[in-house]
Amino acid sequence: MNKQEFLEKLRKRLSGLPQEDINERLTFYGEMIDDRIEDGLSETEAVEQIGSIDNIAEQVIADTPVTKIAKEKIKTARRLSAGEIVLLVLGSPIWLSLGIALFAVIFSLYISLWAVIISLWAVFVSFAACFIGGIFACVVFIAGGNAVSGIAMLGAGLVCAGLSVFMFYGCKAITKGTLILTKKTAIWIKNCFIGKEIA
Amino acid sequence: MDIQLKRGLLDVCVLAAIKNEDSYGYKIIKDMKPYIELTESTLYTILKRLENADMLTVRTAEHGGRLRKYYHITETGLKRIEEFKNEWKEIMAIYRFVTKEDDENE
Repeated sequence: MNKQEFLEKLRKRLSGLPQEDINERLTFYGEMIDDRIEDGLSETEAVEQIGSIDNIAEQVIADTPVTKIAKEKIKTARRLSAGEIVLLVLGSPIWLSLGIALFAVIFSLYISLWAVIISLWAVFVSFAACFIGGIFACVVFIAGGNAVSGIAMLGAGLVCAGLSVFMFYGCKAITKGTLILTKKTAIWIKNCFIGKEIA
Repeated sequence: MDIQLKRGLLDVCVLAAIKNEDSYGYKIIKDMKPYIELTESTLYTILKRLENADMLTVRTAEHGGRLRKYYHITETGLKRIEEFKNEWKEIMAIYRFVTKEDDENE
């Protein structure tokens, strides 16, 4: 692939971003290719060293705030005719409330996901507390002369300690997974805005 | 390496690469290569971040019949490097404390 093809492909992949941003990126990568050629590389080698267009596009999109992409989308959207505007205004009680409802549902699903995670952590904390409580009860019972109950309490406390270790690693993995999922979803939403431009 | 830590280190590395004289994208990458590998996309993000933080300025100059962007460090940028050095004096002291036992055991 030569420089021109590379920049053209990159431009297509980035369409949907503000024009200024695209031009600045292309100038930057163009300069990088030229400098490599000046350094003694062939044009093809220079382009290869810059990396794959997929990776670059993904990073650019991840770096661009979603508000900027949405704003650009609104700016480049075609002008609406008078009739369409009237329909939009008249229909607003329907589509506006539907839109808000949809957003609310998605938002509440996300919040409930975190609620589940928080309650799992709470279970972990209670197991840990049971462990401490068990040890304490064991000491109290033994001091009171009731050794059998004391040992039973110690056993229960140790079981809770074991479970809390499992809970801790489980909770940690779920929390981490959810954070990664959140990030991926954000990129996916951004791609929804940009993807339409390419199609 | 921790992402936040690496990000902070890269910022200072780029500032150090333009500290003594103005430099351009490809040269910054080449100068840093022996110490830390950097992709073009990462460098772009760092340069933007540093420019927004007033740590460097950009000028376009002609070079061999084409245009090239040169990056110039500002007072704020120089100050950042000094801050970094002081921070790392503390970190190195902690490092020595952490590894003290290892050295004694050797």
